[in-house]
Amino acid sequence: MSATTEPPAAAVGCGRGHTLGHALHAEWTKLRTVPSTPWLVLAAVAFTVAASAALTASVDTSLCPSPLECHEDTTKLSLGGVQFGQLAVVALAVLAITGEYGTGTIQTTLAARPHRAAVLLTKAAVVTATVLAAGTLGVLGSLAAGRAILPGNGFTAADGYPPLSLADGPTLRAAAGTVLYLGLVALLGVGVGTAVRDSAGAIVTVLALLYVFPMIAMFVTDPPWHERLVKLAPMTAGLMIQATRDLERLPLRPWAGLAVLAAYAGAAMLLGLVLFAARDA
Amino acid sequence: MATTAAERQADRHAGWDGRDSFGRLVLAEWTKLRSVPRWAMAMLAAVVLTVLVSVLAASGNIYGGGGPGFPVGPDGSGVRDSFYFVHQPLTGDGSVTAKVLSQTGVEGESHEWAKAGVIIKESTKPGSQYAAMMITPGHGVRLQSNFTTDRAGSEATTAPRWLRLTRSGTSVTGYESADGANWAQVGTVQLPALPRRVEVGLLVASPPALKVERQFGSGSVGIFPTSSTARFGDVAVTAAQPGRPAPWSDQAIGGPERVPESLLGSATRAGGVFTVTGSGDIGPNPQDVDGVRASLTGVPLGVVVIIAVAVLFITSEYRQGLIRTTFAASPRRGRVLAAKAIVVAATTFVVGLVASFASVLIALPILRSNGLAPPVFQVPSLWDGPVLRAITGTAAVLALLAVLGLAAGAILRRSPGAIVVVVVPLLIPQLIAGALPLAAARWLMLVTPAAGFSIQQTTVQRYFVSSICLPEDGCFTTGPWVGFGVLCAYTAVALAAGLWLLRRRDV
Repeated sequence: MSATTEPPAAAVGCGRGHTLGHALHAEWTKLRTVPSTPWLVLAAVAFTVAASAALTASVDTSLCPSPLECHEDTTKLSLGGVQFGQLAVVALAVLAITGEYGTGTIQTTLAARPHRAAVLLTKAAVVTATVLAAGTLGVLGSLAAGRAILPGNGFTAADGYPPLSLADGPTLRAAAGTVLYLGLVALLGVGVGTAVRDSAGAIVTVLALLYVFPMIAMFVTDPPWHERLVKLAPMTAGLMIQATRDLERLPLRPWAGLAVLAAYAGAAMLLGLVLFAARDA
Repeated sequence: MATTAAERQADRHAGWDGRDSFGRLVLAEWTKLRSVPRWAMAMLAAVVLTVLVSVLAASGNIYGGGGPGFPVGPDGSGVRDSFYFVHQPLTGDGSVTAKVLSQTGVEGESHEWAKAGVIIKESTKPGSQYAAMMITPGHGVRLQSNFTTDRAGSEATTAPRWLRLTRSGTSVTGYESADGANWAQVGTVQLPALPRRVEVGLLVASPPALKVERQFGSGSVGIFPTSSTARFGDVAVTAAQPGRPAPWSDQAIGGPERVPESLLGSATRAGGVFTVTGSGDIGPNPQDVDGVRASLTGVPLGVVVIIAVAVLFITSEYRQGLIRTTFAASPRRGRVLAAKAIVVAATTFVVGLVASFASVLIALPILRSNGLAPPVFQVPSLWDGPVLRAITGTAAVLALLAVLGLAAGAILRRSPGAIVVVVVPLLIPQLIAGALPLAAARWLMLVTPAAGFSIQQTTVQRYFVSSICLPEDGCFTTGPWVGFGVLCAYTAVALAAGLWLLRRRDV
């Protein structure tokens, strides 16, 4: 990350006048002026939509005993690209804080605004809001792609797969939940980034949590252990929010699954806050 | 600070040769790698995490199947041995001949490896020695023996076909003929422990069909028993020492597959024609679980850490500006990248070797005690060729991935991006393969760097036995080397691109 960050905007209206508005504006200025940010936001949206479309296009009803017996969760299938799109979110969130450590901006930031918890929380709020906006675009794009692709692959209304629609309660929950999922991943990234302070270390930690954890779960074939790991892995648990049918087959209810991810994000933020307050910059 | 041709020319002529030797460059890079305590800690953590996760995952896996009645072949490994057998005893040398008049599948298409022919078998006990001449709908005439040997005869897949087996001591020779007059020898097999008195006769088998289906968002393999009917004419058993002709008896030879009652088979004889219906298969028990791969579960975790170190090995020089010093000291950038690649590859190879060897050493016995044991599963010993290939191959894959990470770092010059572009194509295919149709999953596992892990495969897929082969379980239909080659190609291309950019760009 190059040092193109401007001095915190709060410095302009300096003195005692630190308002929340100033702080948010300062963080937003820092985030948007880093060259990687627009690219990462674009990547988050584009990866999500493109991967969702590719996943959806690869599945058709020809492999099922009959289209009806596919029991395919078309909403979940159409939102599958989030597993790729979240990478850009992780990078964005981690870099938002480790980038400041890498360039030394953190010292300026803390000189301008010594209340550390407030600095981190406003930063987290700005990053999460950006990710929620990008996530909404990605999710809507994925659903639109799914709606266009699915009927051609045999998932027609006549076979019990009505076109994806946000008017459908479970689909709306899955779509909104997926956006929240990305927001929680962003918080996880900010928390881990603050605790680790190094972009490579933080990215590896978050990638390991998100991807390696479920992969290990996949290798464990003993059913109770497998289920325990699936429930504990932040990605597999969190993505249960995308399920819209056969919910009784899930190890966790959709919202409970998202709560698992929220617990990880909360713990990471808490750890970040404690370390951020306790350590020298 | 691009090196111009003139500068390079100057380097070559100036007194660089002593100080700038490649050996010194490698040594310098090694010093840089080993003197960062964080990286050494990360490498150590990679080994510990790999072994720990492998061992924990192995303890969490329970394997079942088998049981006391599981048939065991002459070499001690589990086999499939179920078919319909019309037989009579034969003492001493002799031969059995039959003309297969027709072979048809019961209910729909017949299995490509459905078997109809003549057989000489030690006894009616499942797993006992045998040699058989058969025709198959998909693979022509075959001579098979003792569950693991398969030899092709002519490609004639259509009945009628004459088949003959001749026993002489411990060797059995198979012949085939189109007309019953001109016989062609297919081959001779040795059955060393064949007793004097054996059972000879007709065999009909039809292996269970594997059908990949998709339900509840993931692929599953359904196993459906099939059955086929064959008609035989001109059946003759001739003994070298003539005696009383023995009567025919018939029975379904049992096996591990719970063949439904209705598919157990039958035999009828009308005039000189036998009509035999049978189900089941004769061959090795397919190995659907790869014990060695199952004991290397922790590798994906260790590999992420190793890739991060390899990326940082170059990106941290960019961040700290050390790269300027490096290139000032050694202006030939290609050699610097080569030295870095050698150092990082050698280090990760050693680290990977320790991690994978320790994982298999500890996890394999745990898997064995959890039921991954003969006769159902063949568990190789640590010193078997495929196991050593999997262990050293895993280390080589880690070294290649480290070089890939280094190249990505040289291209992108930033650690987060480089780590993501190497780690993600490696891990995501394995994660989503289970949710994709089998063909798409196989394709994805072949064209992404994840293909490299195919080197961990130790089970042998026998072409003449249909087995479940799912890419997410580490079964690659292309064998261990193709995927490894794919990863090599990725690494080579990335390294070349890194080299080109490094020369072309300013630092």
